[in-house]
Amino acid sequence: MSTLTVGTRDIALDKDGNLVELGDWSEDVAQALAEREGISLTAEHWEVLSLLRAFYDEFQLSPATRPLIKYTALKLGPEKGNSLHLNRLFNGTPAKLAAKLAGLPKPTNCI
Amino acid sequence: MSTLHVISHSPFGDNRLSSCLCLLGPNDGLLLCGDAVYALQPGSEPLKTLQAHNLEQRLFALAEDLQARAINSDAVNAVDYPAFVALSLHYDKVNSWL
Amino acid sequence: MAKSLLIISRQAPWAGPSAREALDIALAGGAFDLPLGMLFLDDGVFQLAPGQQPGQVQQKNLAANLQALPMFGVEELFAAGSSLQERGLPADSLSLPVKVLDDAALAALIERFDQVVTL
Repeated sequence: MSTLTVGTRDIALDKDGNLVELGDWSEDVAQALAEREGISLTAEHWEVLSLLRAFYDEFQLSPATRPLIKYTALKLGPEKGNSLHLNRLFNGTPAKLAAKLAGLPKPTNCI
Repeated sequence: MSTLHVISHSPFGDNRLSSCLCLLGPNDGLLLCGDAVYALQPGSEPLKTLQAHNLEQRLFALAEDLQARAINSDAVNAVDYPAFVALSLHYDKVNSWL
Repeated sequence: MAKSLLIISRQAPWAGPSAREALDIALAGGAFDLPLGMLFLDDGVFQLAPGQQPGQVQQKNLAANLQALPMFGVEELFAAGSSLQERGLPADSLSLPVKVLDDAALAALIERFDQVVTL
């Protein structure tokens, strides 16, 4: 367990650095989480994060890599729904890292 | 491709056996172990159902589970563990009804 | 070629961990691109009933998770017609796009897969 300070709020993180309470998420929280990972969020990051939150809304789980790629291809087209693009945005571990920044639990079945 | 179906739950108050009989293929085998051997209780409804399916050489039960439960049945091929292993190799795949 | 696996899920979502475990096998296998099929049999077809509110009994939403199967590459989804009929579930009301099979087709389905497990 650790804590992330955003503005005046202290937000609880689990041992992997994911939010303990999904409801704590905000865009500022995402920015702060990204900084810890050395990523500065661009429009391309944001569209994947909002896609992930939609995925979680729909299916109540975080996607592993393959379903993330498939869902992204379905919603944003194949030029974005591919491992090259997603790996580049999220330091080579898109399912794990993007889920963390989107405020979701660590994906199940994720190596 | 043939399948050996393995059931270990009692047929009384559980429908694994009847479901299994619904989808048993013509080359499939059925092995009863644990409380599933109660299906072989003489005079019982499950035994009648089993006999109606005419499984004959495709119906097996673990000998020690029969003995432990005092079930004497000549309606079944009683097998020991080495024979169980041999059966699971004889069939293309094993479907355990967990 | 990886061996194909048919997962037979035959417990209601509320009957303990079986329904969840069957789904976890499917999602894990799908994430690794294994050729998978899933068959809903007996009380397992209740997992497909529309309009369930698992939150009312503090359960996770299994039906929502099931919707993710096609995203995980598990597109071969089946339900036993006799199980649906016995339980009064109309095939066109189900929350997942399953192919409904009669008993003879069930035997053929099992035949077609390399491996099968029933939970």
